[in-house]
Amino acid sequence: MARGRENALRRVRGIRLVAGALALGLGLAGLAACGSDEAPAGGGDGKLKIGLAYDVGGRGDQSFNDSAARGLDKAKAETGIETRELEASPGETDSAKEDRLRQLADGGFNPIIAIGYAYATPIGKVAKDHPNVKFAIIDDYSPGTDDGPNIANLTFAEHEGSFLVGVAAALKSKTNKVGYVGGVNTPLLQKFEVGYAAGVKAAKPTATVEVKYLTQPPDMTGFNDPAKGETAATGQLDAGADVIYAAAGGSGSGAFKSIKSKGKLGIGVDSDQYNVPELADVKDVIMTSMVKKVDLAVYDFITSVKAGKPISGNKVYDLKSGGIEYATSGGKVDDIKAQLEEYKQKIISGTVQVPSKK
Amino acid sequence: MTAGGGLSAGVEEAPAPRKRRISPMTYVLIAAGAFVVIALIRTLTGAEDLTSSGTVAAALTAAVPIALAGLGGLWSERAGVINIGLEGMMVLGTFGAGLAGWQWGPWAGVFFGVVLGAVGGLIHAVATVTFGVDHIISGVAITLVAPGLTLFLAKLYFTDTPGGGQKKSPPIPDVPRVSIPGFSSLLGDIEAKHWFLISDLAGVLRGLTTNVSLLTLLAVVLFVFTAWLLWRTPFGLRLRSCGEAPVAAESLGVNVYKYKYAAIVSSGALAGLGGAILAVSSSQFRDQQVAGRGYIGLASMIFGNWRPGGVAAGAGLFGYTDAMQLRGADAVHALLLLLGIALLVLAVFQARARRYGIAGVAAAIGVAFLIWFASTDVLPPELVTAAPYVVTLLVLSLAAQRLRVPKWIGQSYRKGQGG
Repeated sequence: MARGRENALRRVRGIRLVAGALALGLGLAGLAACGSDEAPAGGGDGKLKIGLAYDVGGRGDQSFNDSAARGLDKAKAETGIETRELEASPGETDSAKEDRLRQLADGGFNPIIAIGYAYATPIGKVAKDHPNVKFAIIDDYSPGTDDGPNIANLTFAEHEGSFLVGVAAALKSKTNKVGYVGGVNTPLLQKFEVGYAAGVKAAKPTATVEVKYLTQPPDMTGFNDPAKGETAATGQLDAGADVIYAAAGGSGSGAFKSIKSKGKLGIGVDSDQYNVPELADVKDVIMTSMVKKVDLAVYDFITSVKAGKPISGNKVYDLKSGGIEYATSGGKVDDIKAQLEEYKQKIISGTVQVPSKK
Repeated sequence: MTAGGGLSAGVEEAPAPRKRRISPMTYVLIAAGAFVVIALIRTLTGAEDLTSSGTVAAALTAAVPIALAGLGGLWSERAGVINIGLEGMMVLGTFGAGLAGWQWGPWAGVFFGVVLGAVGGLIHAVATVTFGVDHIISGVAITLVAPGLTLFLAKLYFTDTPGGGQKKSPPIPDVPRVSIPGFSSLLGDIEAKHWFLISDLAGVLRGLTTNVSLLTLLAVVLFVFTAWLLWRTPFGLRLRSCGEAPVAAESLGVNVYKYKYAAIVSSGALAGLGGAILAVSSSQFRDQQVAGRGYIGLASMIFGNWRPGGVAAGAGLFGYTDAMQLRGADAVHALLLLLGIALLVLAVFQARARRYGIAGVAAAIGVAFLIWFASTDVLPPELVTAAPYVVTLLVLSLAAQRLRVPKWIGQSYRKGQGG
């Protein structure tokens, strides 16, 4: 019996040990999540104090978030501003995002910029409670959720850019079949797909598009799983596609790896991926990229606040405003540039209407 | 009951029927039968991806990390310790591979991944064996701590590296890949003819012999080695005895703690290897990369009845459906037909075994699948992506009726507790 009790005691002690380790681990995770904080000093001297809430990935993701960081850095270099940058962790709830925004608002930051559509609901709530703080959200405009007099909804016409790379894909395809690998099947990514398919059809009505999303929401791992990206791309190439548009965030590198091993062509997304160091090994297959200038949107918003005329409501960055463009690095689309420019002008003038929804 | 053959003559009827083991030959026959059905469905539906070399190669790549996690689970659970920390140990493995891989090459990456995985296993061993912590709690703790820890370390080590970032390592070079010379193109020609059965066989063989990563071969060797070590050597017998009856083992002079430590550390090392292979084949470490593969490995271990062959089959099944759904939706639609037939066959077998409840459920789902197949042309993408999980779940819940768990699994054991 005594031994049994001793066992029970040891067990309790062990559980405590594990609980301690667990707490430590969570602490570390928390530390990792806000490791790049910069405490705001002073304030009240007329300097802008900008709060930036990143999506999962944060500064250093060499894609979407980094683009936002570039915009912030540019504004910071030109004018003296204070910044505080916080970052979302994977799988967190809306209330965690809400807390993050509140923390910035309570800390006296104004304006506050939220990067990514995941902030839609939280920003709507927080902005209502802080009517004097200016907010901006990148990539989302959902009337009733995140609209308001003190919110700027900075969205992009990804479908327009995707249309152009779709035209490029169709013109470059010899098999009359092209592929689309999307990260996660969200409405935002469907915008890419629809625009791309429309571009392909416009340039070559007989061409077909193979579509694959790596995961379904709420499983967001499709943006971070190169192994899946590679399998999906290989499948499309085996099925006869010879140009693939990889709109899959971090999974794109796997798709490009497969494309390179089969000697076909790929299209990058968000930034000019030909020049991304991570993709240096495969850059010779990246013929163009659908570039989305998040940095421009962030920079614009900061300057507008600085000038005392903050942007509010939905501002769409499109081909016309230069917020969306196609990349020409590597020279692989030089031969079809005239056609691409023609379509670009047609979209800008409104002659070609690009669908944005399925 | 004459199943026992001549031996049972004159011996009184066994009280518990259906306890005989299925012979390896039966498994081969089942596999061959299943293959013929798949080939038939491929010919009928034209879904070439069911048996194409591309699918098989992708399935192999997808299955290896899962299989190694499952093998790790097998080592630990055969010694009586539940290892739900496999996921965390895989995460440690991916990080180790990222840390060493980009600087000193893929083999160094694999080595570091194994070491970090083994460290995860060691922590689990200290908690469960030395301190007698509940196995689930310790395992969950490791799975929760590992991603946070690796994220923190990734920020420290990868932030300003060329091509790396706060959540990812710089690119890791790949290990060499091997093919059987000449064989591959010959099989490719046969595969392209789309003949019934012959082309299917060629496709599978080609997928298995072309461009195979040396890491895949390493995994195969480890499976064979484990089967030999745990079932054919005194060491293995003692290790397994710790998972069945540690008190009895101790009374026979086995140092139970030592064997449990060896098993759990090996378990972590194998899971770490799985993670490292995942990172190397993805060409980099990325946060969130493991994405539940450790848990699927655990499921494949249960599916595989705590045996290496079964683990490999479970991981293979998952890898196969996953590869298929990622490559294209057509094949998954054809999979409905396959599943429907498989469930009906299962229903017949279960009915013969007088398990009418299960037989009824299997038959109902099977018929529903067949109707579904006949009445649609494509599946909604949400379901296509879920296919590997649905298939695994169905197979687990309906076919795996003969599982035998190691007897002492999940229980705490203290030295000398037998009295």
